[in-house]
Parts: sequence; C-alpha cells; structure tokens
Amino acid sequence: MAGELESCKPLSGLLSGLAQDAFYGHPGITEELLRSQLYPDVPIEEFRPFQAKMRGILKSIASADMDFNQLEAFLTAQTKKQGGITSDQAAVISKFWKSHKTKIRESLMNQSRWDSGLRGLSWRVDGKSQSRHSAEIHTPVAIMELEIGKSGQKQVGVAWAKIRVPFDHTLARQESEFLCLEFDEIKVNQVLKKLSEVEESISTLMQPV
Amino acid sequence: QLIDFQWKLGMAVSSDSCRSLKYPYVAVMLKVADHSGQVKNKSFEMTIPQFQNFYRQFKEIAAIIETV
Repeated sequence: MAGELESCKPLSGLLSGLAQDAFYGHPGITEELLRSQLYPDVPIEEFRPFQAKMRGILKSIASADMDFNQLEAFLTAQTKKQGGITSDQAAVISKFWKSHKTKIRESLMNQSRWDSGLRGLSWRVDGKSQSRHSAEIHTPVAIMELEIGKSGQKQVGVAWAKIRVPFDHTLARQESEFLCLEFDEIKVNQVLKKLSEVEESISTLMQPV
Repeated sequence: QLIDFQWKLGMAVSSDSCRSLKYPYVAVMLKVADHSGQVKNKSFEMTIPQFQNFYRQFKEIAAIIETV
C-alpha cells in the first residue's frame, strides 16, 4: 500500500485539492473526496496521516512564502526526516509551489483583508450648466462612482479539476455598495494633493533600506 | 459630497494564515454628506496597484475639469 502513496501522479491532484481547501476556502473538499478520487485503493487510515503530512508541508511553504532556495532546503530536509517524503514527491511539491505560489499568496493576502476593498471606479465630468431652479451657473463637476465591497472568496477557475466538487453558489461575491460623489475643481485638487502625499509615502516605503 | 479624505499607508507583516505576508496597502476613510446633510464615514482598502490606478484616474479628472 505504501507504494500507492508514493506514486507521484495523484500527488499533484492532491496538492491542488489541499490548496483549494486550505488557501482558497473552497468548501466540500473532504478527506474522503480526495481519497476516493485520487487514491481509491488506499484505506482511509493510511490516507489520513499522508494527506495531513502533505497539507502541513504545503502550509509551511505558503506561510513562510518561501523563495526557491528556501524551498529546496526545506524539501531536502523533509526527504531526510524519518517518515518524511521521497525525493520524487519533493519534486512534485516543488513544481506545484513554483506554478501556484503567486495565486496562493494572493489568496492569503485576500484572507487578511477584512475591510472593504475598492471593486470598481467610474466617473464623468459635467460641464457648465444652468438650472431654472437656481440663478447660479453650475461650475464643472466631476461625478465619481466607487464600488466598495468586502472581498468574498472568489470562485477560482477549475483548471485543477481532476476532482469533481459540486458548485457552491454561496461563494459568489457579497453585495457591493455604490458610493456616488460630486467634486468641483477645488475639491478635485484638494484630493489630488492628498493622493500625491500617499504616493510619496509609498515611494519612501518601497525604497530599498 | 466629500467632506474629508483621510488615508493611511499600512504594511501587513504577518497574519494567522500567513506568517510572512509583507503586503503594503492603502486604507482610505471618506467622510461624506448626502443631500439631507447626514454625514457618514466610508472606509475601504486598496492594494498599491489599485491605488495607483485610482491616483491616475484622479489626475485625468483634474486635467479634464480644468479644460471644461
């Protein structure tokens, strides 16, 4: 049976499934689902510690946001451990991390964003106009619509789908709030000044220490 | 109507899901008044690329509003 677990073909699928569960928050990926679809001949008592080991390795790699040197060192250490992984398995894990690192990192960043995000922005500028209700000639006005919403879990594309999971509509993004703002020229420039202060701050932050 | 615009540049260093996050973000707090005069606070976050897009669009608005 150990031979089954060492086979590398289903490992890639397993890592994808574990990532979907651990990082993308995709519900419905149970241990039994993974076992039955990827390692059908392995009994659950053997599969359980195996997938736990792989999950632990994946989480360590993601948590430390390992670069490729760190990854190599980490995986080599895992191959030398008692009850660790084989070098073939290390190669599969390495390949997986290299192709999924960016997406997983993005997902982890999203998980740490609890405040609403800016989902969309549209605007127009209205020219001079006159209203019969007011003698004033309206000065040009910028009208901006901000779409603000919480970052719900995104539905990740199913390129990994060697595993079939029922589609869950609750993954759909939560309702957005639309905020409509009017700015005259003075206001626009005031905000612009503030934005340039932010930009300056960013440059200072990003400078190599 | 926008009454006030406050901002904060933050760096998320670490979280319980990722120990090595290192992710900068811009948090914005807008104080807005609706037609009835009621004032509300609205806050949201932007990633750096989102902020830069926001800034670029604002500059475009400024350029246009000057010429109108």
